[in-house]
Amino acid sequence: MNKHFSSASSPEENGGIIFKAEHIIKEFPNLRALDDVSTEIKRGEVVFIVGPSGSGKSTFLRCLNLLEKPTDGKIFFEGKQINCRGIKINAFRQKVGMVFQHFNLFPHLTILNNIILAPLKTHRMKRAEAVSKAEELLKRIGLYEKRNAYPQQLSGGQKQRIAIVRALLMNPDVILFDEPTSALDPEMVGEVLALMKELALGGMTMIVVTHEIGFAREVADRILFMDHGRIVEEGSPEDFFSHPKDPRLKDFLSKVI
Amino acid sequence: MNAVLSWFQEQSADLKTAFYMNFIKDDRWIYLWSGLKITLQIAFFAVLIGILLGFLVAVIRSTHDKVGNLRFLNFICKMYLTIIRGTPMVVQLLIIYFVILSSCTDKVFVAVIAFGINSGAYVAEIIRSGIMSVDKGQMEAGRSLGLSYLQTMIYIILPQAFKNVLPALGNEFIVLIKETSVSGYIALQDLTKAGDIIRSQTYDAFLPLIAVA
Ligand SMILES: Nc1ncnc2c1ncn2[C@@H]1O[C@H](COP(=O)(O)OP(=O)(O)OP(=O)(O)O)[C@@H](O)[C@H]1O
Ligand SMILES: [Mg+2]
Repeated sequence: MNKHFSSASSPEENGGIIFKAEHIIKEFPNLRALDDVSTEIKRGEVVFIVGPSGSGKSTFLRCLNLLEKPTDGKIFFEGKQINCRGIKINAFRQKVGMVFQHFNLFPHLTILNNIILAPLKTHRMKRAEAVSKAEELLKRIGLYEKRNAYPQQLSGGQKQRIAIVRALLMNPDVILFDEPTSALDPEMVGEVLALMKELALGGMTMIVVTHEIGFAREVADRILFMDHGRIVEEGSPEDFFSHPKDPRLKDFLSKVI
Repeated sequence: MNAVLSWFQEQSADLKTAFYMNFIKDDRWIYLWSGLKITLQIAFFAVLIGILLGFLVAVIRSTHDKVGNLRFLNFICKMYLTIIRGTPMVVQLLIIYFVILSSCTDKVFVAVIAFGINSGAYVAEIIRSGIMSVDKGQMEAGRSLGLSYLQTMIYIILPQAFKNVLPALGNEFIVLIKETSVSGYIALQDLTKAGDIIRSQTYDAFLPLIAVA
């Protein structure tokens, strides 16, 4: 099980660093959403990003797979800069999964077709292979019976787990999660977190923006705290919760715990 | 009471003779029937061309709006939309018949091309509104899976856009059927023209026109 969920390994000529962000700045017309953000994400690492609303968490995550284009700074993926000319952006994105707050399943396709569309169209798999892998994953998360249903027939928790499986079938090196449980009814949060935890334990590299502080504490290797477009503090869950240094983090923690 | 009844009988007898004179005698209904066939033929193929053109123009325009490239193609599309939507159909038909395709003798073909080009402009805007009605998360989901912009358009956005605008497209088809009435100007016997012919033979304008409508 774990093997199937873990990041595909490749020669580690860059010290096992998957993402490296250098001095990222992102400006919107009248606002600087990211203000000099730098960090590294190692293979197999589970990094959580927390912070108040509007602090730039989503923007940073979306810069990593170039859904947003950084105004300045450099982003490296597996040793190669990706925010420059001449980059095969689609090939790059095939290795970077993304899970959205609102699932973004394709409403006109069945669950199975939602999952196998990208592997087929990007020629990463033949149909038979894609179908059998998709069905295997569906069985694993207990949604095999829903393979011919449409997204609107599923509960929120089921939709989000399908979205995760859809990202997984591309066999990505890293998966980005942007508040994957924020749009869910409370009773459905657990099933999604359980699947994410399973991925984390299986060795998948994950970057997770979330307001589920307790979950971050339980699963994270490292937590980043963002405020006003900057990473204000980062550390292991231990340090982060037991010895917060920055007053803004202390303030934030006192509000959310 | 009786007076009213007999008046009705008289009227309906009148109507019967009129109906007979207009449609049955000399097999005049044949005009209408073959006119109907041509009308439907033109409308059907024109809508096909219109949808094809419409999709093309709509995709180019939305791509330009979202990604910012394709400036030249977008310019051409905008010209096309402005010209087609800003001039009367009759004029377009005549220009295409007498100027652009003047060597072509197949009038149905000319009409199909003319109406197709015309309806393409309207369909393009319908489909563009359909594309805009699709949640932007759909494009992001497609792109984040490594699909290209065009692949995401074709497999994810357009099917949803098309479904959203199906009623409006049906509407366009009906409008087109009505508009084929102007193809008489290139001496094509569609439904309206058939009505005209009957009228000129019977000097009764009302019934044939009702039938045409
Ligand atoms: N496309 C955009 N255009 C203009 N401003 C934007 C855009 N996207 C985000 N912003 C602004 O950038 C800032 C950072 O937004 P971001 O979505 O990254 O915050 P966040 O930390 O994810 O917040 P939340 O917890 O509410 O999701 C906010 O002030 C937001 O209004
Ligand atoms: Mg956000």
